[in-house]
Amino acid sequence: MENTSSDIRQLNEKIHQASAFVDLLNMELGKVIVGQKYMVERLLIGLLAQGHVLLEGVPGLAKTLSIKSLSSAINGKFSRIQFTPDLLPADVIGTMIYNQQRNEFMVRRGPIFANFILADEINRAPAKVQSALLEAMQERQITIGDTTFKLDEPFLVLATQNPIEQEGTYMLPEAQVDRFMLKVVIGYPTKEEERHIIRQNLNPQATPEIRPVIQPSDIMEARKLVREVYMDEKIEKYIIDIVFATRNPEEYKLQKLKPLIAYGGSPRASINLALAAKAYAFMKRRGYVIPEDVRSICFDVMRHRVGLTYEAEAENVTSENILSEILNAVEVP
Amino acid sequence: MYTKPVIRSIFLCLLLGLIFPVVLRAQTAPEVHAGVDTTSIRIGEQIKLRLTATIPANQFGTTKIGFPVLPDSIEHFEVVSRTNIDTSGDQQLKVLAQTFVLTSFDSGHWEIPPMRFDVQKASNNAVIDTLSTSPVGVDVGTVAVDTTKAFRPIKTVQGAPWRIWDYWMEITGGMLLVLIIIGIIWFIRSRKKVVPEKPTPTVTPYELAMQQLHALKAEQVWQRGDVKMYYTRLTDILRTYFEHQFGIAALEQTTEELLQHIKPVTKLNQQRDKLRQLLSLADLAKFAKMQPTADEHEACMRQTEEILEWTRPKKESENEGVVTQEA
Repeated sequence: MENTSSDIRQLNEKIHQASAFVDLLNMELGKVIVGQKYMVERLLIGLLAQGHVLLEGVPGLAKTLSIKSLSSAINGKFSRIQFTPDLLPADVIGTMIYNQQRNEFMVRRGPIFANFILADEINRAPAKVQSALLEAMQERQITIGDTTFKLDEPFLVLATQNPIEQEGTYMLPEAQVDRFMLKVVIGYPTKEEERHIIRQNLNPQATPEIRPVIQPSDIMEARKLVREVYMDEKIEKYIIDIVFATRNPEEYKLQKLKPLIAYGGSPRASINLALAAKAYAFMKRRGYVIPEDVRSICFDVMRHRVGLTYEAEAENVTSENILSEILNAVEVP
Repeated sequence: MYTKPVIRSIFLCLLLGLIFPVVLRAQTAPEVHAGVDTTSIRIGEQIKLRLTATIPANQFGTTKIGFPVLPDSIEHFEVVSRTNIDTSGDQQLKVLAQTFVLTSFDSGHWEIPPMRFDVQKASNNAVIDTLSTSPVGVDVGTVAVDTTKAFRPIKTVQGAPWRIWDYWMEITGGMLLVLIIIGIIWFIRSRKKVVPEKPTPTVTPYELAMQQLHALKAEQVWQRGDVKMYYTRLTDILRTYFEHQFGIAALEQTTEELLQHIKPVTKLNQQRDKLRQLLSLADLAKFAKMQPTADEHEACMRQTEEILEWTRPKKESENEGVVTQEA
């Protein structure tokens, strides 16, 4: 059914009211997390758009604190899995154990049964553990023995990868990386932020506790609204143009990128770009998507979906460089 | 005193004495000879052994001389090379010759053994006689070694003497290359220089934008209900104008990005608020199906014209006029 002008106005007002919790969440998280607004914003996009987030950054950038605080603010269950080379799929999803008293096998649920999962250093575990987690992320259900268990909603996985110390790691294959809606690269805080962090940590009494400001059910409602955010066909075309430019750059007068790109974004990239743009618009308390929304989340949605050739790697060209070129060449509607 | 007959006899005797050796020299049978160019060499040096057979010209057709066939080495000597049998001569004598280059690595006095030639009938190759040369003695001297002096190291590889013909390919190639370069330079210089005509802009970006705005007005797009198209075209006209006039890639920028990028352009930045208002309203119309009022449509058109008017490059005459007025 086609949205009319009045429908969108009503939707806009509805979303304006419904998205008020975003400011509340930001305020609550801001009590303990200094800086890293970008990361927190992306976590919320993942949460609202029903996607998962792959985080890349050096250790000590408040990744655990962020997702733990988000979990507390939403009154959700948090669990952290430290991925190591000897980890087994059963350590993540759970297993059947024998109960001698009852003389039967019982299910022992793994740490994945939570609302917020921090999969720390996901590339340190072997492929079978990675695929167990990624399958759960995709299906949102786990099968142990003969029983299938639905995972709690909202379900958000924040996986981290350390860009340094690549020795002895198992790089996530492209097909697995594609399952993450966003790949966020975070950097160090500013000097002012770092000073604030030091003061906060040296005075533990000053560290406030995170209080729940919303309930998981509110997030589920918000998710429904996010999907209702109006996206004009011009924006759809813009998204398609961006994704197609990663596949066939020569059609967008970007012949020079052709030898640098091994493969472009999949249809899943288009879906996620549209969904994340809607979530971003929701967070900006709008009921419609504008080109700014697409551009704002484009790098995070696309950077892990553009494969680089050896030539690009030899020339130190990154996927961000390629995306910048594309965004500067594709006409904004 | 001698008598006349005695004198005549003496004269006759002297004459016969002179003529007789000539008559004796006239050859009647084949002869063979072996000769060397030197009879004394040092070890490893080469000598030329020349074998010749002379045969009266009148026997040349009926008689053949079979030259000895030398193996690659004979006692104390090595055959380095050999020539084919060469025939020369005149009407009385024919000379057949073959030259061998020999060397020796044994010091001492050695003799090249006698060489056997077969005289054969030409008709059936039957041997009718055998001729032999005299042995030829050759002294092969060794190098005198001064044992009182210390040993010297083996000499390094010696370069062959430089010869220009060893490099004929490079020289020819280089010359050809030089000729080709000269030819290309000549060709380029001799070409008629075509001065590219500077494209004279028929319309300025301002004029083009104004033309497009007039066309938009004339088409009465929003009056026909296509508000989205109206704002799309309006903002496209403005963005294209910015791109052509100020070199800002406005068509590839979002509203916020564009407002950021106009900051360095002072004249444009002065219209920032107006531009923000216009682009924001256009975004709502384009992406949120908002239906602005007729007054807002008109206001947007007016604002666009004002921005164009404010930012258009002034002609010199206009500037002068302004200065005069201010003065």
